[in-house]
Amino acid sequence: MSTKYHPADLMAIVMAKLLHPGETVFFGVNSPLPMVAVHFARRHYRLPIIEVNIAGGIDPDPALLPRSTAYSDLIAGSASVFDNTDFYDLVSRGGIDVAFLGMGQIDRHARVNSTAIGSFERPKVRLPGGGGAAVIMPRARRVLLWRAAHSPRIFVDRVDFVTATGNIDRVITPLCVFRKEAGRLVVDSLHPGVSPDYLRSQTGFPVEVSEDTPVTLEPTPEELSALQELDPDGIRYLEFQS
Amino acid sequence: MQGMRAASLGVPFMPVAGLDGSDIPNVSGFHRVRDPFSGQEVWVVPSVQPDWAILHVHQADPLGNARILGSPFWDRLMSRAAKRVIILAEEVIPTEKMARQPELTTVPHLFVEAVVHAPGGTWPTSCPPWRDFDEAGIRAYLSAIREPDGLARLLAEREAADHAGDSNGGPGGCTPWRGLDSPREYPSIKGGSAG
Repeated sequence: MSTKYHPADLMAIVMAKLLHPGETVFFGVNSPLPMVAVHFARRHYRLPIIEVNIAGGIDPDPALLPRSTAYSDLIAGSASVFDNTDFYDLVSRGGIDVAFLGMGQIDRHARVNSTAIGSFERPKVRLPGGGGAAVIMPRARRVLLWRAAHSPRIFVDRVDFVTATGNIDRVITPLCVFRKEAGRLVVDSLHPGVSPDYLRSQTGFPVEVSEDTPVTLEPTPEELSALQELDPDGIRYLEFQS
Repeated sequence: MQGMRAASLGVPFMPVAGLDGSDIPNVSGFHRVRDPFSGQEVWVVPSVQPDWAILHVHQADPLGNARILGSPFWDRLMSRAAKRVIILAEEVIPTEKMARQPELTTVPHLFVEAVVHAPGGTWPTSCPPWRDFDEAGIRAYLSAIREPDGLARLLAEREAADHAGDSNGGPGGCTPWRGLDSPREYPSIKGGSAG
């Protein structure tokens, strides 16, 4: 029996399950889904991970998750203040196991463009920029990318500008999870109710997907109620509002 | 970050990790150089020295010693990298109070040129943990800057609200911030040469 849930619920739970015990996990600014996922992994699965966030917290314990993932509530309960230079130094020297990073576009070779569509000098669309992605992506041990939308304009054959590339492990979308294999994005699992044809129609590069492709595990009622308890304000839905 | 590090250290460039596979070095004019010690190649970025760093802090004394509560984000580095530093403070407190807990001072006065007492000065953005961002204020700003003289009008409204003693007010209103525990008569500008 399937329970009703939002794609954000599934994505947050999938992102939480992709974390492993003992990992040092980072999320940055404008990262509501990763923030919810990391706190869900720590609280609900009691996963022994170390959270490092861009607000400056290490393993914080906020009463409520803030709307801004750079807000000081994410220092509450932290025994130290770890500022931005501390974080970039740590990831540079190889001390971050998992980094959650957002993206504008990605191509079949797992190259991310968050800079510009068209030429760099005269872009058709100026994207918001990659933040520290160009440093983080090659230096974090595993990078988990996410995007709250899945369309041929986002998943393109070839990006116009490579903002960053590197140790991409998974890409989590409202339709599927990709993994990087031999330098290419391949479908790791298809979310429940998404047909292979629909995924193909929404992806701008050829994807190998069939009736035999694994289906992402549905969230259980227990997981969904625990998620609601962790995030009663629905911060996990923010990225789905335009 | 490494560009400002170079400035803070007084050296012309700095190595930086990562960047492999990115187009950013090409469009930004970064270079790859050989480490003379190990022989390995590394990206380097040039020194970035801002003329000014204008830093909003929670507490400062009239000399320019400044406390940032919570994370300093990039502010500590910026204070060391810039040629000149201006501090904007929510509260101005006596130097004796700073000296009682010197480890809380993020920016020492020696490179600070001026202190401005500017309670609520981050409006409509936040000053965590004392004040959250003001969403209505951000929307007011975004619509004001699209009309001619809109920003001037918004700032005038804000100034009038400040002078009316309603320092929490302004268009859209601010989430209340923790009260001042210091009087307002501390000098807001440090004396001395501006160079």
